[in-house]
Amino acid sequence: MSITDQVLAALLVYGLPVLFGVILVCSAGIPFPISLMLVVAGSFVEQGEFKLWQVIAVASLAAVLGDQIAYGLSRWAGRRVVNRIGRRIGADAQIKQAESFTKRWGGAGIFLSRWLVTALGPWVNLASGIAAFPWRRFLLWDIVGEVLWVILYVGIGYIFSNRVQAVRDILGNLTWVILGLMGAIILGWKVLSSFRSPDKSSRTKPAAAS
Amino acid sequence: MKNPGWRRRSVLVAFALVLTFTGFFAVRTVRRAIYWHYHQDEPIRPWMNLGYVAHSYNVPPWVLHKALGLPQRPDRRPIREIAREQNRSVEEVIAALQDAIVHVRPPYPPPGPPPAPEHEPTRGRSP
Repeated sequence: MSITDQVLAALLVYGLPVLFGVILVCSAGIPFPISLMLVVAGSFVEQGEFKLWQVIAVASLAAVLGDQIAYGLSRWAGRRVVNRIGRRIGADAQIKQAESFTKRWGGAGIFLSRWLVTALGPWVNLASGIAAFPWRRFLLWDIVGEVLWVILYVGIGYIFSNRVQAVRDILGNLTWVILGLMGAIILGWKVLSSFRSPDKSSRTKPAAAS
Repeated sequence: MKNPGWRRRSVLVAFALVLTFTGFFAVRTVRRAIYWHYHQDEPIRPWMNLGYVAHSYNVPPWVLHKALGLPQRPDRRPIREIAREQNRSVEEVIAALQDAIVHVRPPYPPPGPPPAPEHEPTRGRSP
């Protein structure tokens, strides 16, 4: 029997503490299909086994707490490691650049990786911590995104309460399509702009003969 | 684009890769959606309890309880636990459930009303 089966069985037997524990651990970086768990929880809300507000409160709290742990750990430990490596290979400037990029765009990244492309969540936590993204802003985006994630998946489970596996299967694939589309838009934009203007970074020729 | 720089070329390659990736998952999503459209019943898994199976397959729960020889009262345990208690394999229990489900659906006659509970609980206080 797979781990997924074991955890979902435990959710039925022991209820919300399992939901809390699993989401907490997974938000901190352990990969596990928790979106299926939320969909199942939503289905059981519809069948009257769980209370809606309790599921939403417990799941959101666990997710936010797990993210904060991951952020804290990577800010405390990850930063030291990165600084040390950066100093050794002389990449201080690049690290500074990455930091300022994260500070500027991190909010949207944090928000979107909470509910839309959840596969990136642990990585964004890590990056935000290492880049010392301001904690209050991290917390704010995290809460907004995670509550949206929980409501979305529990809601989907509630609506499609008799077909949780089908819904999760389709959603799982759809997530990668969305992620791919986002990447395609960004890269497509880069391709377009590289054709429009002569390559500035790799060639420093005067743009006379174009 | 007579002689595109390596940077431009690598962006193009990355773009093509991302498009392939997206296309692959787009096709997969559509295929899964079509699959589920034609397969109304999802496979019974060990984590499910009888309430969920009954809900998912749209059959009365008592039919499933009867198929496993369980008393007619709400039972939240997953199939895995029931199998363990009955000293049977999970596959055996799932097969028994599937058999019961087949026999309450057309062309078989509908299952009718649930049997009376074995020990009558003190329900329905008369006003």
